[in-house]
Amino acid sequence: MSEKTAGEAALNEEAAAGNAPGFDGTFQPQIGRTLASLLQADAAVLVRNRRSLIVAIILPLFILLASKRAAVSGSAALLGASITFGLVSIGILGYSMSVARDREKGVFQRLRVTPAPGWAIMTSRIAVQVAASLVMSAVVLIVAGEVDHIVLSPVGYLLAAASALVGAAMFLSIGQMIVGIIKSADTINSLARFIYIGVVLFGLLGESGKLGAALASVATWSPYGTIAAMFAGAGNTSAWTGETWLAVAASLGYILVFAGIGIKWFRWSTD
Amino acid sequence: MTGSAILEIKDLRVSYNGTRAVDGISLIIEAGEIFGLLGPNGAGKTSTLSAIEGLVRPEAGNVKVTGIEMRGAPPSARANIGVQLQATSFQSELTIFQIIRLYAGLYGVPVSNGKLRSLLAEIHLETEAGRRFGQLSGGQQQRLALLLATIHNPPLVLLDEPTAGLDPQARRQLWSRIEELRRRGHSILLTTHSMEEAQAVCDRVAIIDYGKIIDIDAPEELIKKYENDPRVRKAARGQVTLDDVFVGLTGNALRD
Repeated sequence: MSEKTAGEAALNEEAAAGNAPGFDGTFQPQIGRTLASLLQADAAVLVRNRRSLIVAIILPLFILLASKRAAVSGSAALLGASITFGLVSIGILGYSMSVARDREKGVFQRLRVTPAPGWAIMTSRIAVQVAASLVMSAVVLIVAGEVDHIVLSPVGYLLAAASALVGAAMFLSIGQMIVGIIKSADTINSLARFIYIGVVLFGLLGESGKLGAALASVATWSPYGTIAAMFAGAGNTSAWTGETWLAVAASLGYILVFAGIGIKWFRWSTD
Repeated sequence: MTGSAILEIKDLRVSYNGTRAVDGISLIIEAGEIFGLLGPNGAGKTSTLSAIEGLVRPEAGNVKVTGIEMRGAPPSARANIGVQLQATSFQSELTIFQIIRLYAGLYGVPVSNGKLRSLLAEIHLETEAGRRFGQLSGGQQQRLALLLATIHNPPLVLLDEPTAGLDPQARRQLWSRIEELRRRGHSILLTTHSMEEAQAVCDRVAIIDYGKIIDIDAPEELIKKYENDPRVRKAARGQVTLDDVFVGLTGNALRD
């Protein structure tokens, strides 16, 4: 059998087996299979880009270890700040830049002419970034326990996992808002870095009171501050108070607003 | 569905920010037909394709693929279309192998490694499986794009300027592949700026300008019909060609 015939035969076999649409117009791909294919591809992209994931893990570890030596603040707060820093990297830098780049290159348009629904394309992207956020959080928690002896209670670890999930959703929703409002990949590249530095610096300096009492309060209720507060509560469950629940509520509110703007204004192409 | 019509477009209108790009286009493509959309830049070719693909929402009119209305059931309609976009791009981190596996999965086509290899052999890319799309030559990229457009054996294949930027050898090879698709029963709608290509592969062509169809017919019939038209005579340099008919009907003015 020639190579050409072999290739055709492969497809014809599948069509005959009812696996391909063929010519009767009744084919409807299963959403589970669609999602599995998208997740597999997006995970492959993440693995291929492991350098940026490694950077997103190394930076929080650096902050954790360096600040501990400098005895900047309490261990639970420090752990929270470190993980939040990693979540900001993945959500604001990693996600928004990859979406902007692929949109500009027409990757989304190519996917959208398949039967895959738009929500499945984005869900797969976000799910992979959430997984990366959880991996980063787990690594930081493990290193914090092994090296710095910051060990949480079982409930604390559960709360930390929940905080990582909410934090991932928070900073991914900010990333989504950026790509929703701005079309140009170059502008997003610059702006995402600016926002990233702004969020982290404002969160760190503001909360420490170095920017004044009024800004300290704003920083506490900023996206960075509310997530850091949740991690601090997870690190010391006895300090999980009504104010921490307010931080959870504020975080969920931010997610709704940012994601809402990001989804409403998002365009699949730059045309 | 009319007879064996694979694609039916009725009074299609598409506008962008108040500017009408497609203005009442109607056409039917039959099973096994290669149909060409010809028009100057900005004539509405890509907008028409985008509406067929469901990428833009028409202002009016409807598009049916194998009798399924694109507006009513986009996933089902899209499952019956294979698309090669004008500027095809895939995630730059994925290998050719991974790209084929992704698109096969999106169409619900299970492909084993053996099948993937035979598909790659069919387009002479068997040694490129581990490379990335950006590392392929223009001709290789087009062959891969065409394979992905037909991996689910769709009744209708849409090709947006498939031979743009290809050398003559790669262009002719692609024409052979397009004809091979027709022999396998696919209908093909392609857009092109090349009148040579339209004459070489298309059964019928539509000349469109300013979003409207000027005429639809077989290339030879269009030449016969317009060879004595003064606009075409003015454009002709010797024997009238499809190129002369095209320029005669759409004018000499430069477009964007």
